[in-house]
Amino acid sequence: MVNLEDLKKEAKAVLKDEKVKYVIGYEKSSNGLMPAPAFIKKPEDVEKLIWDPTCIHNLTRFLTDEKQKKAREKQPDERPVGIIVKGCDSRALVVLLQEKFINREDVYIIGVSCESAGVVDEKKLSKKLKDKKIENIEFDEKDNIIVTTKDGKTKIPASEILAERCLECRANFPVIYDVLLGEKTKRQPENPFQSVEKIESLSEQERWDFWKEQLSKCIRCYACRSVCPMCYCDECVVDTINFAVTADTTAEEKAQKIKWLEKSPVLSENFVYHFIRAIHLAGRCIDCGECERVCPLDIPIRFLNKKLEKDAKELFDYDSGFDPDQPSLISSFRDEDPEDFIR
Amino acid sequence: MAEEFEPKIVAFLCKWCSSAGSDLAGVSRMEYPPNVVPITVMCSGSVSPLYILSAFNKGADGVLVSGCHPGDCHYIKGNYYARRRIALVKRLLDYFGLEPQRFQMSWVSAAEGVKYTQIIKDFVQELKPLGPQKKLRRAQ
Repeated sequence: MVNLEDLKKEAKAVLKDEKVKYVIGYEKSSNGLMPAPAFIKKPEDVEKLIWDPTCIHNLTRFLTDEKQKKAREKQPDERPVGIIVKGCDSRALVVLLQEKFINREDVYIIGVSCESAGVVDEKKLSKKLKDKKIENIEFDEKDNIIVTTKDGKTKIPASEILAERCLECRANFPVIYDVLLGEKTKRQPENPFQSVEKIESLSEQERWDFWKEQLSKCIRCYACRSVCPMCYCDECVVDTINFAVTADTTAEEKAQKIKWLEKSPVLSENFVYHFIRAIHLAGRCIDCGECERVCPLDIPIRFLNKKLEKDAKELFDYDSGFDPDQPSLISSFRDEDPEDFIR
Repeated sequence: MAEEFEPKIVAFLCKWCSSAGSDLAGVSRMEYPPNVVPITVMCSGSVSPLYILSAFNKGADGVLVSGCHPGDCHYIKGNYYARRRIALVKRLLDYFGLEPQRFQMSWVSAAEGVKYTQIIKDFVQELKPLGPQKKLRRAQ
């Protein structure tokens, strides 16, 4: 596990030299279980930073806000933003760079390697701890997580409380960085697509029944969209509220906006929403699992993203988030792309 | 005897090949089932997954996307993009548990009126035993 003092030192150094506007990292939250994102502006505030196996958030999402904020400023601060990224988060950065949404010089990347571990799943952990407050949480050498609460230390095998995505992770170290903390130890999961294969092995009717049950729950709060670092469009096809309407927009223009789906959270509309959300992330999703984490109804959204990741790999030999120079999945093709399904 | 189920098919045909192919079938007076509603699009590569979903959502029993043969695209490579995108859509629909027969893709050139009629005939034959598509249909 990366040493927290090293992380603080790196953050302090760049803030002191005024090389960055601010550093996005993690700090302790008031509920004592999961951390909260922290925006460190002054070198002395660096002490607030934490780094432990509960640092689950994908902080690259805040770069979208930063970009929008910068666009509104008359004299924007041109310095980069410092950001702490794990392996999966760094791949999100690669996709954003690939799509030219951000420029490389606009971010100062402090990469932290998960090494042979990962981050813990909030729900699994709180179940294990029976909602006790965490005082300290760390990895030991033998793939166990030691959690200290007011009742003393508990040793839990990492595989029991690690997030699902960490158990299927193919790159547990940052692929792009300015400074790297920790070692680039690669851990190859036995089967990175085991969760998807479980659903694929079901019969057609069982699959439908499964998704029918899951998608009927959806209340369309759009939390999965809000938290996703890739969902940065100003206008989203799924809701007409955020179509850019200005004083000049005529009634006719408003009427011409196509309403692809109804807002009511019923199965048929939820299906369109989830299908479109998934397909818009084809070849872009880097499996940070944030959509599933924020879902208030525990819909296994990751299974959809993972399925597309698997198909992209199987059909087109495409891996997202490793090379900022490769063309995106659906804006490229190969002559040998499969066409056995075409008549 | 109850009336036989007649499936409703929405076909997205590209303007340059498939649409001309269906036109050829028409002007040659070839017979094929009247179950298909053709929608001409400029290129099979312009067919958004939203169009397909929207068709199912509004009650289509089957959806067909048809474009030029590889190498014949009027826009040089639109059908190659379509091939990739449609492959992903088809797999994902299957993953959700929709019958795979309900969504098809074909290459039909402007000279293949016969092939077009055959595709529609086969499609209708495959959809008949499945009955109406109710899974993705918006409740009325």
